[in-house]
Amino acid sequence: MSAGSTDTAVRTGRITRTALYLVLLLFALFYLLPFAIMVINSVKPLSEITGGNMMALPQDWTFEPWVKAWATAQIGVDPTGLKPYFWNSIKMVVPAVAISTILGALNGYVLTKWRFKYDTLIFGFMLFACFIPFQIVLIPMARILGLAGLAGSTPGLVLVHVVYGLGFTTLYFKNYYQVFPTELVRAAQIDGAGFFRIFWRLLLPSSGPIIVVSVIWQFTNIWNDFLFGASFADFDSQPMTVALNNLVQSSTGVKEYNVHFAGAILAALPTLLVYIVAGRYFVRGLMAGSVKG
Amino acid sequence: MSFLTIDNATKSYGSVEVLHRVDIDVQEGEFLVLVGPSGCGKSTLLNMIAGLEDITSGTISIKGKSMNGVHPSNRDIAMVFQSYALYPNMSVAKNITFGLEMHKVPKAERETALRDVAKLLQIEPLLDRKPGQLSGGQRQRVAMGRALVRNPDVFLFDEPLSNLDAKLRVDMRTEIKKLHQKLGTTIVYVTHDQIEAMTLSTRIAVMNGGYIQQLGTPKEIYDTPANLFVATFMGSPSMNLIPVKILEENGGLVAETTNGLGETIKLPFATPPAGLKDYVGRTITLGLRAEALTDPDGADSKAVNLVTVKSRVIVMEPAGSDTFVMTEFGGQDCNARMRADVQVAPGEDVDFTINMDKVVAFDPETEDRIV
Amino acid sequence: MATPAADADFKTKLQTWVPKLVLSPSLALMLVFVYGFILFSVYLSFTDSRILPSYGWVGFENYDKLFRLRHWDIAVNNLIVFAALYIIICSVIGLMLAIFLDQKIRGESVLRPIFLYPMALSFIVTGTAWKWFLDPGIGLEHTMHLWGWESFHFDWIKNRDYAIYTVVLAAVWQSSGFVMAMFLAGLRGIDNEMLKAAQMDGATNFQLYRRIIIPQLRPAFLSAFVILSHLAIKSYDLVVALTGGGPGRATEVPATFMYSYTFTRNQMGIGASSSVIMLMTIVAIMVPYLYSELREKN
Repeated sequence: MSAGSTDTAVRTGRITRTALYLVLLLFALFYLLPFAIMVINSVKPLSEITGGNMMALPQDWTFEPWVKAWATAQIGVDPTGLKPYFWNSIKMVVPAVAISTILGALNGYVLTKWRFKYDTLIFGFMLFACFIPFQIVLIPMARILGLAGLAGSTPGLVLVHVVYGLGFTTLYFKNYYQVFPTELVRAAQIDGAGFFRIFWRLLLPSSGPIIVVSVIWQFTNIWNDFLFGASFADFDSQPMTVALNNLVQSSTGVKEYNVHFAGAILAALPTLLVYIVAGRYFVRGLMAGSVKG
Repeated sequence: MSFLTIDNATKSYGSVEVLHRVDIDVQEGEFLVLVGPSGCGKSTLLNMIAGLEDITSGTISIKGKSMNGVHPSNRDIAMVFQSYALYPNMSVAKNITFGLEMHKVPKAERETALRDVAKLLQIEPLLDRKPGQLSGGQRQRVAMGRALVRNPDVFLFDEPLSNLDAKLRVDMRTEIKKLHQKLGTTIVYVTHDQIEAMTLSTRIAVMNGGYIQQLGTPKEIYDTPANLFVATFMGSPSMNLIPVKILEENGGLVAETTNGLGETIKLPFATPPAGLKDYVGRTITLGLRAEALTDPDGADSKAVNLVTVKSRVIVMEPAGSDTFVMTEFGGQDCNARMRADVQVAPGEDVDFTINMDKVVAFDPETEDRIV
Repeated sequence: MATPAADADFKTKLQTWVPKLVLSPSLALMLVFVYGFILFSVYLSFTDSRILPSYGWVGFENYDKLFRLRHWDIAVNNLIVFAALYIIICSVIGLMLAIFLDQKIRGESVLRPIFLYPMALSFIVTGTAWKWFLDPGIGLEHTMHLWGWESFHFDWIKNRDYAIYTVVLAAVWQSSGFVMAMFLAGLRGIDNEMLKAAQMDGATNFQLYRRIIIPQLRPAFLSAFVILSHLAIKSYDLVVALTGGGPGRATEVPATFMYSYTFTRNQMGIGASSSVIMLMTIVAIMVPYLYSELREKN
């Protein structure tokens, strides 16, 4: 989305333009509404929700549901709120993102600048791994994690996310390093720099944008994962998404919608925040990764 | 023993051989240019000398020591790349001294070397800048500085001028030549530009299709091209090629062809190559440089054997210093280089003087020069 | 630098091996955790595994049972309906929004993130929001009634015949902005001079898009199709959060089927065989795509 291409050749008349804006605004409403309603209703007392109109602004503003969702709501058997699960997610996401990004960067570097026989084939194998339905690995993974003593633990989940994120991070870095001039690497070789020094002193200093992409992609994917969390975690390692689902689906007692919404927003907050701060790079990088394959 | 020896070097990718048994000896202080069209293998050969690509068979040695399997940084070579390959995140000074740093040269020494090179190339004011802030010509200088600072045995240049605009290219060409004369270093230089090759080199290797077509001094290459490929690739405008029939007349050899009016003309050889006798009665290809085909007043006064014939002017192109006149011999378009103020017009029949001292003859089947 | 010569110096030899060494942990992880696991699952699908893996060979029995299960039938049919609608609607909306946004729209920088933000959310969050929004007793229907539109009727989420469309709705809400971004990137990559040339040739806006621009978005269409179809087949979280597969089995898909047969119904053999079918579907879509992509580059 370069600034140079704003000069579009297509010209539109006044009526068409009005219609364009109308449709665009309508869709903006469609995308905003569900989340906005969730936010509004998360600061209402429960009686206003069950008895009133979901579109109405709260008459009684209350942050009680947020406090409850965070600290005291009943999840599973304990009234712990989402707090411990939030930290579980953090403890899982940070190392998984870091490791998969570092490995992806190194893989991309090798696959573009140190090519060898069958490297395309190897890359193909890695890329294909991005697209497998995870159901095919659920059973063996449960088995292996059990055997390795990692079942139900955060390190186990980190391992899972690193493995299944590696294809994407490798793809991103490979696409990015592909256009990094190979002559620079050759010049550095003649200058006497070795494999790691070339990476460290040449490639890495100019990898900022793609690191951002890889980190955001991995962060959102891992944070938002439900399947692996639900399959391989126990209380000490259950991530936020699983806890939220437990909170929302729990059949005991009154359905406290306002608390559910507060919880859902809490679960969405980190990725939304990342998206708002760095979303522009994300989309740009995603394009480079997906359109060009 | 030569300084840089390329002995029977071959390069294959899988089953495809892209470079066939190349033999070149380069003496110390020589400026060797590898020239040829793209895909001829010249860059591959340069990369093999640098150690950036390995050798499938044969040897490359520097100062009598085989370089096969020796890491690029241990070959005592330096290279200037087409894109300059300056490290974008480092200052000019860092770019130049990076190689010394990698070779663990002490800081004080690096500083001295940097200052010397910067002075030599007149880039002192640029040392703190990043490559992104430099113009094309400045980048070119920095890239050369990075190579010079290492004080290597052999300099390798990979089309270093092709990214510059026309005027800057000519300036930098002169500068590289000056530098070579001043420092007397051994240089291997790759280009596809035959003028660069002619002006810079002490010797030229013309390459095509993975073969060395001819290895010789610029004069040898220009005056006595080994085959039709070299004859047409080197020189601008390219050599005129006229089909002629060889006849024996009065004990001498004569080339018979037609002029632009359709009349038969005869061009006697003064000193025909020995092998030409075998072609009597057959048709060969006669090679004639544009400057050996002129107006009578513009002909080389030192020439021994000048023949003047009539032909018709098809097109004339004034180029300022000369006027190029196109005519026809033997049914082929031929370029004549005439004096700037020659008075001719298209359609006119004028006198053309051929310098028969300079003609070369090619076997039309093997395409090799008849010697 | 394929193989170093026998007489290569240490540094050269090192440089041939270090890259491969660096790549090897990733490759090993892939081989074990992806390809090894796939083989293991395929093997399990031919065994009599129930609550735990067991190694009694039963041949195609699991597949035979699977294809005769009405439950699986429903799941597959649901997936076909879901995937088809999801891909088509996302592409149509995505393309439309991208074309509209590409008309020098004022406020594009505000609209774009609004269209896109849902993809930053977890399907669980999306499911939670929509589940409630669509709940007739409290959500949209209820609100319309309160606003005086008494006859308004919208209970698809509780209706066996329509519940699957609510899954489509929520999924489209989440992903269509992303498809928009892909098309927008494609549109911005089209050479403007060519469009000007076409206008000189007398093309109307509609013809311009139909004949010149949209055909050039082929790669974006292909990428969108590949990504959406793979998301559709993997979709598990959204169904769990939105409908839990219900009402009844009305929104069951292969992903939820596999999970429940393997982990709650203790029919691991059948679960494994269903995951193999899912994999084979993905392979049929992905392998030609990846092959052509990697081909092109070399």
